[in-house]
Amino acid sequence: MSETKQIRSISIANGPSFLSTPDNTLLADLEAQGIPIEYHCREGYCGACRCKLISGEVDYTVDPLAFIDDDEILPCCTVALTDVVLEI
Amino acid sequence: MKYTTFNQQNSDVMAEPMFFGNPVNVARYDQQKHAIFEKLIEKQISFFWRPEEVDVSKDRSDFQGLSDAEKHIFISNLKYQTLLDSIQGRSPNIAFLPIVSLPELETWIETWSFYETIHSRSYTHILRNLFTDPSAIFDDIVENEEIKRRAADISKYYDDLIFATQLWQTQGEGTHVIDGETHVVTMRELKKKMYLCMNSVNALEAIRFYVSFACTFAFAERELMEGNSKIIRLIARDENLHLSSTQHILNLWAKGKDDPEMAEIAKECEAEARAIFLNAVQQEKEWAAFLFANGSMIGLNEDILCQYVEYIANQRMSAIGLGQPFDIASNPLPWMNNYLSSDNVQVAPQESEISSYLVGQIDSEVSEDEFDAFEL
Repeated sequence: MSETKQIRSISIANGPSFLSTPDNTLLADLEAQGIPIEYHCREGYCGACRCKLISGEVDYTVDPLAFIDDDEILPCCTVALTDVVLEI
Repeated sequence: MKYTTFNQQNSDVMAEPMFFGNPVNVARYDQQKHAIFEKLIEKQISFFWRPEEVDVSKDRSDFQGLSDAEKHIFISNLKYQTLLDSIQGRSPNIAFLPIVSLPELETWIETWSFYETIHSRSYTHILRNLFTDPSAIFDDIVENEEIKRRAADISKYYDDLIFATQLWQTQGEGTHVIDGETHVVTMRELKKKMYLCMNSVNALEAIRFYVSFACTFAFAERELMEGNSKIIRLIARDENLHLSSTQHILNLWAKGKDDPEMAEIAKECEAEARAIFLNAVQQEKEWAAFLFANGSMIGLNEDILCQYVEYIANQRMSAIGLGQPFDIASNPLPWMNNYLSSDNVQVAPQESEISSYLVGQIDSEVSEDEFDAFEL
C-alpha cells in the first residue's frame, strides 16, 4: 500500500486540478476541494459517486459491489496510484 | 420446461445464463459465473438488523405534535412504503426463482426478498407504536386509489412474467387458450417479459423508494420521528444494495456478458425500458402532489420533491445506459446523502446515535425534565 501514501495529481476534465492527500479516498479529496460530487453509501456498494477515469490508475480500498463500467471508477473507495484525470 | 426442485441432469453452471437455462440443482458456490451476486449476499447478511432493536417510542409524542398536513404526509408515506415492501417481499421469489439458473443468483434473490420482509415487519413495528390499533392504516392500502394505481403498475410486469412462466412450465411453448384468451408462449417472449420486469423492479428500487425516503428524512432533519428515520436509514441501506443487483443484471444482459439473446432484447426493448422508468418518475411526481395536497412541511414541498425525483432519475438512468433525460444538475436535497451514507465510513451529524452501535442496547429514557436546565 506504499503507493497510496504518494501524492498524485488529480485533474478533472474541463475543470480544476489538485494534489491528492495521503490516506484519503478520491471522494474525500474531491469534497475537500469543494468539487460537487454525488455520493450515498461511501462504501462502494451503491454506485452513486461513479465517474469516468480518463487516464491514470486507481486502487480500491474495498471490493466495489456497485456496477461500474470498464472505464468507470468509484471515488468513494479508491486511491490514485498514478496521476489521474477524471470526468465527473 | 417443467420445473424441478432438484434437476437430476448434470449441467455446467459456468455455461448457464442467469435465467431460463437449466433449473439449479446443487446450491454450490465454489464455481460462480457471476461472483458479484455472492458478494452482494455477504454484504447484505452483514447488514442484518431487526426492527425491534430500534426504539421508536419517542415518535409517538412527536406524531401527536404534527400538523394535520404533516400527519397525512407521514402516514401516506408509510402506507406506500408498506405497499412497496409487500410486493418486494414475495415477488422476486415467485417471479424469478422458477426460472433462475445460477446458484449464486438464486441465493441472492432469496436473500434480497428476505430483507424486504424485515422491512415489512418494521412498518408494523412503527405503526403499532403510533396507534393503539393500526389496522385502519393497513386496510386503507388496498382502498386508497392513489396507492392502488401505483400497485397496479408495479405488479403488472411481475404478474405478466409469472403467468407466462407458469404456462411455459406446464404447457410448453406454443399457443394456449386459457379462459377464452389466447396466449402465445415462446422463449423470446418470455425473455422479453423478463427484461421488462427487471426494468420495472429496477425503477422501483431506484426511484419509487426514494420519494418516501426523502419525506422520512425531512422529518428527521427537524429532529422529529427519529426512531422511524433510523429504521428507514437501515431500509435505505438495504435498498441501495438491491438496486446494485438489478443494475448488475441489466448491465450484464445489455453488455452481452450473459445470455446473448438478452443483449438483443435489451437493444430491441430500450424504448420500452425507458418508458417504464419515465412512467415511474411521472407517478412519483403525482404521488408528491398527493402527499402535499393538504399543505407542505418545513424543508420539503411538492416542487423540491419533484426536482429530487428528476435528479435521482438522471443518476439511475445513466447507470443502466439510458442517459440523463432531465435538465437538473445539482441535488435539490443535499442533506439526503447524510442519511444514505454508510455508518462505518461517515456518521451523519443529524444522527443522534450511530445505528450500528445500537444493537440490543437502547436508551429510551429521555424525559422532558432533562431539558429543564437548558436555556435559550
